[in-house]
Amino acid sequence: MIKLHSRKKRIFLQLLLLVMTIPYVLPLFQMVVGSLGGIGILNYKAVWDTGVIPTFFRNSGLIAVSVILIVLALCMTAGFGFAKMHFKYKELFFWMILLAMTLPEVILLTPLYTTFNKLGLTSTFLSVILPSAALQLPFTIILTRNFQEGIPTELMEAATIDGATTWQVFYKLILPLSKPIASSVVMLTLINAWNAYLLPLIFLLKPSMQTVTLLPTYFQGEFTNDQTKILAAAVITALPEIIAYLCMQKNFEKGMSAGALK
Amino acid sequence: MKKKKLPWLASFVWILPALLFIGAIVYYSIGFTFKLSTVDWNGMLSVPMKNVGFDNYKKVFSDPVFYKCIKNTVVFFIVTFVIQNFLGFVFAAILHSDVKLATLHKCLIFIPTILAPATMAPVFRLLFSPQGLLQKIFNFMHLPITVDWLSKPTASLIVLMVVAIWQYTGMSFILYYAAMSQIDREMLEAAQLDGASEVRILWSMVFPGCRGTTVSMAMLGVIGALKTFDLPWLITPNSLMHATEFLGTYIYRTGVKQAHFGTAAALSICLLVMAVIGALLTNRANRVD
Repeated sequence: MIKLHSRKKRIFLQLLLLVMTIPYVLPLFQMVVGSLGGIGILNYKAVWDTGVIPTFFRNSGLIAVSVILIVLALCMTAGFGFAKMHFKYKELFFWMILLAMTLPEVILLTPLYTTFNKLGLTSTFLSVILPSAALQLPFTIILTRNFQEGIPTELMEAATIDGATTWQVFYKLILPLSKPIASSVVMLTLINAWNAYLLPLIFLLKPSMQTVTLLPTYFQGEFTNDQTKILAAAVITALPEIIAYLCMQKNFEKGMSAGALK
Repeated sequence: MKKKKLPWLASFVWILPALLFIGAIVYYSIGFTFKLSTVDWNGMLSVPMKNVGFDNYKKVFSDPVFYKCIKNTVVFFIVTFVIQNFLGFVFAAILHSDVKLATLHKCLIFIPTILAPATMAPVFRLLFSPQGLLQKIFNFMHLPITVDWLSKPTASLIVLMVVAIWQYTGMSFILYYAAMSQIDREMLEAAQLDGASEVRILWSMVFPGCRGTTVSMAMLGVIGALKTFDLPWLITPNSLMHATEFLGTYIYRTGVKQAHFGTAAALSICLLVMAVIGALLTNRANRVD
């Protein structure tokens, strides 16, 4: 930010950075050290040998991909509608979307559980996919609208004069131009869907259907509180996420920060 | 030239799928919850709901734990908001100053943001226990401190705030880092030539320049604090004397765990009203500027 001219100050800054970063690494260090307690590396073998880990990962992946597809399809069309279309009560509908953004998911549990029970949807992936997507939608719609408002309307008009229908304008013009925001939406939705805890906890009771966030709880039952194995499971869960982040650093950061900007 | 207007339905149809989807899940649930908040029900589908009018709300408003949850939420928001953004701002300023290994530090600060609270909860339960790394460090340094904080009410709330700060500093950092790239360097250099100290420049020039980020983080923080569930539920599941009780965990405890679904629904409606008011207030602060 500011150029530091003295060497002393530069060294101080470097040290300050180091000292400030240590607390951020400490829990990760604790996780690895803790997972190697007792029988050491064999903890990982014990956890892996239960055979459930690939299942939990597959379930999380399946849910995340479905949520992303629903969110992407609906936020792109709705974003376009709010950004470029004119219709009565647009403000009112937009406020409805804004209000939905403030909803804490704990409020959904009882109504959805009761209703899904009647519809025979409990213990299906849909019971997690549908509410997760609904909770992610309001925000991603706002993000998409803000982005698509920046696309010049003249481009659309030119295409219309050339005889393109609204659908063609959307499909051939708006969608390709919206790639940057689409990638942010995908990342943001991926992280939120992958890390979701409460909805799978309530709706996915069978171990064969549970997600990675429920692994610690599952192993607490399995290994009657053998901390080392629970931590080994935590490392196995965290590692793919960290690797994915390191490979797509810029995308992750853009997606997460899009989550904080209006 | 007059623009050709599409018929209302042809324009409206673009937002219709999303609107129906959100309506069917979010607004349906809000309506359902409102209805539940006026009945006495134990959650058994075979047991009919008994209408009790606004008794559940009376119960909520005379419940000391409800106010305790609000107090915890306010304290949690203020403390985490101030510290998390202060740290994020300082990290951003340092990493903008040609330090070595900047990318490594950036990654280390950001990694907590992407990890699930549910995955990290067992780690924090160990870290803040007498068997954890922290205790070993204190012992090594011969500090007479016992790390049994999760078994003490006030200390466990502090632990939760520390964990939240650990988790979300990366977010503040990334946003301040981006905001700082927009600030005019020459102006800062001119101030430096005039003899202003680095800290002074950061405080009275750079920080006001990042105001938009601070306001965004405030809005996110208010809604986030009201939604808090995973961290307290997983790190302090028993919540001694409700010291780490938040509205989310209290609703869950009252409804799912104790089967008082009417009371839980009344609490839910109160939470929703507060979330909407919180969002409107911060949104307003945003517009005033």
